[in-house]
Amino acid sequence: MSDFIELGPLQLVLATVLIVAAGVVSMALQLGVERRLGIAALRTVIQLGLLGLVLEQIFALRNPVLVVGLLLLMTAFAAREAVSRASRHYRGILVDAWLTMAATCLVVGGMVTQVVVGVDPWYEPQYVIPLLGMILGNSLTGISLCLDRFMDHLVVRSAEVELRIAFGATRREALAAPLRDAVRTGMIPIVNSMAAAGIVSLPGMMTGQILAGSPPLQAVAYQIVVMFMIAAAVALGAMLVVVLAGRHFMGVDATLRLDRLTTGHS
Amino acid sequence: MSAFLECGPFTAADGEGRILLDGVTLSTDDGQFVSIEGPSGGGKSTLLRHVTALAYAPNAARQLDGESYKGAELPEWRSRVNLVAQDAPMIAGTVRENLEFPFCQRAGREKPFDDVRAAALMTQVGLERLPFDREVRTLSGGERHRLALIRGLLWNPSVIVADEPLAGLDPEIASVCLDLLLQFGRRPGRLLVCVLHDPEMSAHADRRLRLANGHLKGVA
Repeated sequence: MSDFIELGPLQLVLATVLIVAAGVVSMALQLGVERRLGIAALRTVIQLGLLGLVLEQIFALRNPVLVVGLLLLMTAFAAREAVSRASRHYRGILVDAWLTMAATCLVVGGMVTQVVVGVDPWYEPQYVIPLLGMILGNSLTGISLCLDRFMDHLVVRSAEVELRIAFGATRREALAAPLRDAVRTGMIPIVNSMAAAGIVSLPGMMTGQILAGSPPLQAVAYQIVVMFMIAAAVALGAMLVVVLAGRHFMGVDATLRLDRLTTGHS
Repeated sequence: MSAFLECGPFTAADGEGRILLDGVTLSTDDGQFVSIEGPSGGGKSTLLRHVTALAYAPNAARQLDGESYKGAELPEWRSRVNLVAQDAPMIAGTVRENLEFPFCQRAGREKPFDDVRAAALMTQVGLERLPFDREVRTLSGGERHRLALIRGLLWNPSVIVADEPLAGLDPEIASVCLDLLLQFGRRPGRLLVCVLHDPEMSAHADRRLRLANGHLKGVA
């Protein structure tokens, strides 16, 4: 597992030449993105550097409280990011996004780390943190797409939703079409990337494992587990988040409450 | 004895804060045609949305034929007090799907969809050449309007609440549609409430109401 080429400070400085080259292109063509490129590069270094330091500590300490704490922090950030990407909001959207993230991590992450991979001890940070990180990163996209589409459907096709309600639709019946539409939208990215995996793109995780010296078939096995895990997480998360969101826009009386929408932040 | 349909009080304002409904209640007996007139923008459509429980009105009481409806019973209220909206909304799909979908929902579990009557009504309102498998997005405004009206009649609720059901129809078709609505409303245990713009049509009403300045009053 350890037959990979280690990167030190010198190698990182050499890599900086690449980003400087990109900046030079920007200046030569007067694209005006060199400043943003610089800031983004700096953020990459700082954020990943901090993450590296934190992970080194957590890996070394192997303390379950720290691992769970970090995971909770990650879900909170993921929920915030998912909500900030949605163009419409409602009171309580952040809580719904967080509950969804936490629940999918618990169910899908728990299944993968404890049953499929069989991590021992259960909180082994080397496995638990990157696997759950991938669930969160992908659920985030799925959940924000899904929420956005759900609220969009309620607004743009409100006449259709209310028509069903006018003929006595229950909450479940009235929300069935928006829910289907939203979950389908939320799942598009993962379905696309599963279909293209290995032909159009070499998935990032697999690439990383191969660079780190894993046999390709092992890397493939991990990648398949990860893809399935992400698909399950996105599907579950998308369904859960629209069910939670649906409660805000419709009670048991099945009255459509578009007045609950806000354009600003939750 | 209480009236057949009783609901309210409803209070509502428009976007600028102007009062449209100032504690309005609607109370009426069955077997009749009640018309609602009033200035445009005066809240008539808003009143119908409240009567049919599409608008949120947590403090309103609703009673039909001696039975009260609130909270989780509102879907049942809507299936009995059914709105035929002014803009003739449709679900994406065919003519048939649009006539049939209410019968596929829980509220329509025990009601059979009557193909023969659907075809007969289509003929009566001049839609006999419209195939059931035609996509509704290809229909003209007038065709949609009539289709929405037929859907309401086929559903056969206790009360039809219609918002300008005759607007934009040519006079001949409009009078056929009015007859169909009157046949529906003037039976015991049934009621027809319509917002109408045309005084000539309102003249047919058994009871004429006028909504203005947030109040609903009888027209002498």
